[in-house]
Amino acid sequence: MKLLNCPVNGVRPLSEFIFGGECREMPNPETSTDLEWASYVHYRDNAPGIKKEWWYHSPSGTWFIAERNTLSDEVLSTYLHGKAPAKNTKEQSA
Amino acid sequence: MTELIKTSPVIGAQKKMNPIMGVHQGMEVALSFVDQKIEKKHQAILGVTDVSCFARFAIKGAKAAEWLEKQGIKTPEVVNAWLEGAPGTMVLRLGNTEFLVEDQATGNACTKLHAFDQSNTQDAYQVARADAAFILSGSEVLNLLSELCVLDLRDAALLNNALVMTQIAGISATLVRESLAGEQVYRIWCDSTYGAYMWEILIEIAQELGGGAVGLTCRFQ
Repeated sequence: MKLLNCPVNGVRPLSEFIFGGECREMPNPETSTDLEWASYVHYRDNAPGIKKEWWYHSPSGTWFIAERNTLSDEVLSTYLHGKAPAKNTKEQSA
Repeated sequence: MTELIKTSPVIGAQKKMNPIMGVHQGMEVALSFVDQKIEKKHQAILGVTDVSCFARFAIKGAKAAEWLEKQGIKTPEVVNAWLEGAPGTMVLRLGNTEFLVEDQATGNACTKLHAFDQSNTQDAYQVARADAAFILSGSEVLNLLSELCVLDLRDAALLNNALVMTQIAGISATLVRESLAGEQVYRIWCDSTYGAYMWEILIEIAQELGGGAVGLTCRFQ
């Protein structure tokens, strides 16, 4: 069973979570160039590596950030948006 | 003026058991299913009671805790915890700024809270709730929960008035353990639209383990 650590509710099975997509900083639409805005809207960096992702714990309605290595599927840390990440160790196992 | 009587969200699934119905806290609910001696036996082994009729009041917002305290309702200091906020009334802290207040069989705090005018209150917003709620008790209750929930609920998960939001039978639900008349029981809340499904699952497993449905009368006799 795969497990994920919700920063509020603790370690739970992956079936309780919903993937919310990559977490990316939105450029300021007032000041960004057309190229920057088009890149934000249309381009995705799909190269495997460490990504910041949105995840949702559905029983409690908690959105949080997971830093995950998409090559090895290892979750490095999970934290609430705006809070400092704390390193997790055994939140995910095969 | 005609008083509106609500019906329990579980009622559709209960009808085939031919329960004796009655009105409690403004909701039609199953008072008993079979002979009370049998229900008492079920209660000791694995009894399932529909308590969707208990009055509830939910509030969220930055000043929700402060507002509840002003109304004389104590609130848990930490998230995912519950306490008896007033005599006969449970207060569950579902998030930093979200609370669920529920009157038990003898409580009446929710009636008072519903009567308050919140229109001038800032940063505290009443939230509509429509829960199906259950009480589980008996010696086999952990065996039932082990079939429906992946968490190990034997010890640490529900210590110190903790509450757990997890999936039970694939449904998002809130779970706490409390002492009711000296008996350790488990409480489950889920969305009312899943109430009938949850009731059928709980009763099916309870019957397999030697238990069954317990009416409100037997539970709170």
